[in-house]
Amino acid sequence: MSLLLLRLTIGFYSIGLLHAFLTIITRKKILFRMVLASIVIGFFCHSFAIGLAWSESQHPPISTLQDVLSFFALVIVLAFLLSYARYRLDSLSVFVFPLAFILTLLANLISSPSQPYPEILRSLWLYIHVPTIFLGYSAFFVAFASGLMYLIQENELKRKRPQAFYYRLPSLEVCDELGYRSLSIGFPLLTIGLVAGTFWQLPLKLDPKIVASFITWLTYGILITYRLSANLRGKKAALMAVLGFIFVMVTFFGTRSQGSAHSFIQ
Amino acid sequence: MSLLIVGLSHKTAPIDIREKLYFPETRLPDALENLISQSAISESLIISTCNRTEVLAHSPDINLGIHLVTDFLSDFHGQPKEVIQNFLYDFSHTDAVRHVFRVASSLDSMVLGEPQILGQVKNAFTLANRLGAVGENLSPLMNKAFHVAKRIRSETGISNSAVSISYAAVELSKKIFDTLNGRTVLLLGAGKMSELSAKHLTSQGVSKLLIWNRTYQRAVDLAKTLQGEAIPPEELFRHVERADILICSTGAPGVVLRKTDGQRIIKLRKNRPVFIIDIAMPRDVDPEINKIDNIFLYDIDDLRHVVDANLKHRLKEAQFAEGIINEEVQSYVNQVHSLDITPTIVALKKHWDLIRQEELEKTKKQLGELSTEQEVALENMTQSIIKKLLHGPISEIKSVHQTSSGSKHIEMIKKMLGLKE
Repeated sequence: MSLLLLRLTIGFYSIGLLHAFLTIITRKKILFRMVLASIVIGFFCHSFAIGLAWSESQHPPISTLQDVLSFFALVIVLAFLLSYARYRLDSLSVFVFPLAFILTLLANLISSPSQPYPEILRSLWLYIHVPTIFLGYSAFFVAFASGLMYLIQENELKRKRPQAFYYRLPSLEVCDELGYRSLSIGFPLLTIGLVAGTFWQLPLKLDPKIVASFITWLTYGILITYRLSANLRGKKAALMAVLGFIFVMVTFFGTRSQGSAHSFIQ
Repeated sequence: MSLLIVGLSHKTAPIDIREKLYFPETRLPDALENLISQSAISESLIISTCNRTEVLAHSPDINLGIHLVTDFLSDFHGQPKEVIQNFLYDFSHTDAVRHVFRVASSLDSMVLGEPQILGQVKNAFTLANRLGAVGENLSPLMNKAFHVAKRIRSETGISNSAVSISYAAVELSKKIFDTLNGRTVLLLGAGKMSELSAKHLTSQGVSKLLIWNRTYQRAVDLAKTLQGEAIPPEELFRHVERADILICSTGAPGVVLRKTDGQRIIKLRKNRPVFIIDIAMPRDVDPEINKIDNIFLYDIDDLRHVVDANLKHRLKEAQFAEGIINEEVQSYVNQVHSLDITPTIVALKKHWDLIRQEELEKTKKQLGELSTEQEVALENMTQSIIKKLLHGPISEIKSVHQTSSGSKHIEMIKKMLGLKE
């Protein structure tokens, strides 16, 4: 049942993917409201699917790679909906919808693990560690997307020869503000998640994911400190937000360590 | 659809011809009355602006109608027909519908997508409506045209980019600052140009105006009229960092703002962006300043480039708009055709006449040889029976087809009279 719902979710998200493609190709706003509606329905379907999976499998829906991909997609859509409610930036959808679709699709393609559920994951810490980190990641994704939009729009304005993006993208101020807000939400979440993980696994055995996470945390830490104290804003801040999310992706996908707490159940 | 348009526009006629055929608002009532008093013109509407004069009319005889309207234009304005005819165009039927839609949607305007034309068309319609010059044919057409114009404005970007220098500056500010509310503008040089741009920006929500001029008194005077704050000549660099937007138009022979000044301003502003518009001749600002992060410098040529790009953008959007026009013309034509009852009446008459002829032949065979007079009498009698029998249903069809349930009634009548489709 939960698998069926997940497939239904993919269906709804695929409309978003199609819309993003059409928007890029035709540079036009086509039926955005309908697409938004299908994303919202997809989001509820998705939440329900995850809830059902939880009750079906007897372990929290944030344990396997499949779980985590699906959860990541869910919180990214959530982050989009929240920022849309505040800023009404439909351009953000071009970044969010494809990623949500791909993550959910991957989650659906990966087969369920056959290994028994490891004892190490039977801990309340899991409920803090994983969700906060992925909520943080989704905020960083919004910061990444606004950073990219900023860089493109800034380039258009500096070159003084407006092209399609100039007309479609939001103002620099909005991109910058959204980037900053997302950071100031994402960074505390990531911090809580990392601290929780550290307490959970004391004494800490370093694995590649822990090292990469620390680098990511440091990058965002520097960015947010600069933003607060030295008024770093605009282009450099946007560049750092983009870079930061590349670290996030490396941390998430690039580091797999067998035998450590971060190896997914096969 | 007996619709016709005779008119001229900036595309076919120079200003000295357009002004001769222009209808001032005070003369429009006379003109409309004159038009609809003609027997071949049942409804009429005149759109007259500085860029175009169009007479829209409903007439059962299109060719005669076009002829009459042309004569009317010539007589009313006292211009020889041979002269104005070279500049006039005419459209009829579907082409006329398309033309009205294109005009109302600003696809035929001199500045593509300019918003005024829709208002002008609406005014023309309101006036004609008040005078009773438009009715069951032109009213639905005009309402559809307003709908199409609205649809095009919301579904394409044809009207949402700036096509004048001063508006391009406002548009750029909004691409940087999102909103001009609460922003501070500094006028560097208190000339006519900067005064105009300042007025423009204040109307867009700019809240604080700083004015600097080499001659202090001039700054003070302008500050008074614009309700701004004058800055003494030697204090420029103490205030310059307060400005989000700088408009430079001093008459200084050399550079007023150097790159190093820019770096200092950005530092003092803690990286908050500055938009500098340099309309001075020679330029006041070192172009290198644009290379500093968070400073955006536009000179008059740059603004012109933006306007050009916007016009190109509008042209592209106009292609989408033409697609919408095609779609809407088709839908309107279909709608009108479904209301058209002529084919129904013709079919009815034909159907009954066929029956009459069949029965007449049968009777003739039974009667044998008849004299010519007898044959004519039979022919006349049967024809008049049909005519009298059909009179009721046909006038019923004519009277109900305008009502909302008209098509249903007509279907019923057709069925009762044995007309199958």
